Amino acid sequence: MDLTSEIAQQLYDGDADGVARRVEQALEQGLDPRQVLQQGLLAGMGRVGQDFQAGELFVPELIVAARAMHAGLDRLRPHLAAADGDADATVVIGTVQGDLHDIGKRLVGIMMQGVGLRVVDLGHDVAPDRFVEAAHKEGAALVGLSALLSTTMPMMRATIEALREAGLPVRTLVGGAPVTRRWADEIGADGYAPDAVAAAALARELLR
Amino acid sequence: MNGRQRAMTAIEHHEPDRIPIDLWAEKTTLSRLQQHFGAADREALLKRLQVDLRYVMGPSFAGQQFRQLDDGMVQDHFGVIRRPMTVEGVDRTGHAWSWTYRHVHLAPLQAATTVKEIEHHPWPTAQMWDYGAVEAECHAARETGCAVVSGGDRLDRTAQLKPATYIRGLEQFLSDLVLQPAMAQCLLEHLVTYYLEYNRRVFQAANGAIDIFFMGDDMGTQTGLWLSPRMYRKFFKDNLRRFIDLAHEFGIKVMYHTCGNVTALIPDFIECGLDVLQSLQPAAMDLEALKREYGAHLAFQGGIDIQSTMPSGTPQQVRDEVAHRARTLGPGGGYIFCTAHNLLPDVPTENMVALFEAYLEHGGYWPNPPRCSR
Repeated sequence: MDLTSEIAQQLYDGDADGVARRVEQALEQGLDPRQVLQQGLLAGMGRVGQDFQAGELFVPELIVAARAMHAGLDRLRPHLAAADGDADATVVIGTVQGDLHDIGKRLVGIMMQGVGLRVVDLGHDVAPDRFVEAAHKEGAALVGLSALLSTTMPMMRATIEALREAGLPVRTLVGGAPVTRRWADEIGADGYAPDAVAAAALARELLR
Repeated sequence: MNGRQRAMTAIEHHEPDRIPIDLWAEKTTLSRLQQHFGAADREALLKRLQVDLRYVMGPSFAGQQFRQLDDGMVQDHFGVIRRPMTVEGVDRTGHAWSWTYRHVHLAPLQAATTVKEIEHHPWPTAQMWDYGAVEAECHAARETGCAVVSGGDRLDRTAQLKPATYIRGLEQFLSDLVLQPAMAQCLLEHLVTYYLEYNRRVFQAANGAIDIFFMGDDMGTQTGLWLSPRMYRKFFKDNLRRFIDLAHEFGIKVMYHTCGNVTALIPDFIECGLDVLQSLQPAAMDLEALKREYGAHLAFQGGIDIQSTMPSGTPQQVRDEVAHRARTLGPGGGYIFCTAHNLLPDVPTENMVALFEAYLEHGGYWPNPPRCSR
C-alpha cells in the first residue's frame, strides 16, 4: 500500500496519531501536499462518508475519523499554503436564533471539512445579523442554517431574508430534523440536505 | 374502567374501553391549554382532557447545595457545569415565546485520559436524595384513578448515553466508544450503578404505588441510529436489561423514550423485556410496520407528529392522523395516544383541541361506543 492509501486507511480507522505520523513521513519524502490531501485525507473521509450513508458507519466512527483528519490537516496546512495560494471556499454554518441544538450542525461542519471546504461554525442561537456579519467578514460563498424545532424554523426564513437584504453573494443550505425540501423551497433556500454527508456533497455542488 | 385500568390493560396487550391518553407538553403550552379550558390547575386540565397517566416528580434532592459559579452558572450533582440560557423567538402565528435551558457549559471528565480518573470522579450517590415524600406523592397520584409514572430523577430522567455525554463531552464520549472502550464502560458502570440504586429506593419508598417506570435515551436521529446496533449491544443493552429487571422485580412496567428512527434496535429492546416504547416519530419510522412486526411483544406510546401536523397542519389533518393511528396501532391494545414529543408553543390551540377531541372520538374499542368530550 502506498503512503497516501495508508493515510486514507488510518483516517478511516480513526487513528489520529498514525495519520499525523504518515503525513509527516509523506512530506519528508517530498510528496506533493495537494496529493497527500486529496488522495490521503479527503479520499479517506470520502470513504467514511460513503459508508456512513450506506449505514455501515455511525456518528462515533465519523467523529474519530474527523479527529484523525484534523491531526493530518494540522501537519499539512503550512505546506498547503506554500504550495497553493488559493484558499478553499468558505462556508459559514450555525443553528438559527432560538435554537440550542448543536450536534447535527457540528456533524455537517465535520463532513464539509471532509470535502475540503473551510468551515466557520458560529455555534447555536445565532441571530440573522450575526450570520450576515460573519458571511461578509469571512467572504463566505455558502451559509448553512440548522434548526431542530418547528418553533425555530421560521428563523431560517428571517436569516435568508437578512442575507438577501445585505446583498451578499452567498448561497444558502438548510437542514435539521423537522426541515424538509418543501420548507427549503418555501423560504427560498438554495439547497436542502437530510444528513451531514448529503449536506457536504450538496455544498460542493452548489459551489461548483 | 378508570385511567389506570385502561393504561395497564393496553400495556398488557388487551383492548380496554378506549385507547388510553397521555399528554406531553412544554410548560407555556400547558398553561395556554389550561387557560383555554378554564382549568384551575394542571390536574384539572388532565381530568378535563381525560388523560390516563400521571407523572410524579419523585424524591427531593438532599445532597449538598449545587455550587454557584460566575455568570449564573451552576455545577450539578454530576459535576457538570451548566449555564442557564434563555432563547426567544416568534412562532408562525406571530406569538413571542421564550425558554430557559440548563445548557452544558463544561463536562467535568472531558480531559480525563485514564480509567482511574473516571473512577475517582465524585459520583453522585442514592443517599443524596430524600425519599420521605415519595409514597404520599405516588398515592395522591393514584387517587386520581390514573396510572402512576415515575420518571426517575427529578433533575433529569434515568438514562445512559445522555448523562455520559454531559459528563465526558459528546464528541469525547462517542470517540471513547470506538477508541477507548474501557473508559466508556467505566463511566457507564458508574452512571448505571447510581441510577439503579436511586430507582430501587424510589420503588421501595413508593410501596407499590408506581405503575410505570419511565426512562430513556435518544438513540435515534431522524434517519437512523446514532451508533451501530453492534455498539449498542456492546455498551448499552445489558444495562437496559438491568433497569428493566429492577422495575419488574417491583411489578412495575417500563416505558422507554427515544427520539428518532430506532427500528433496528427494537428486537434488542424486546429481548431486554421492555414493555412500552415511547415517542414513535412518524416521520422517522414506519409505525404500521412496527405494529405488524413487534406489536405482539411491545406496546407503543406516541406517534402523533409534532414536526409537521401539530404545528402546521389543519385541525382536520390532526383528526385524520389520530384516526389513522387508532386504526393502525389500536387493534389488540398495546397503544397509548400521545404526541411524538412535547407540544410546543407554535402549536395552534385549535389543533390541540382537535387532538383531544379526536382521541375520544376515534379511540373507542368495539363494542364500547366512543365517549363524548365532557
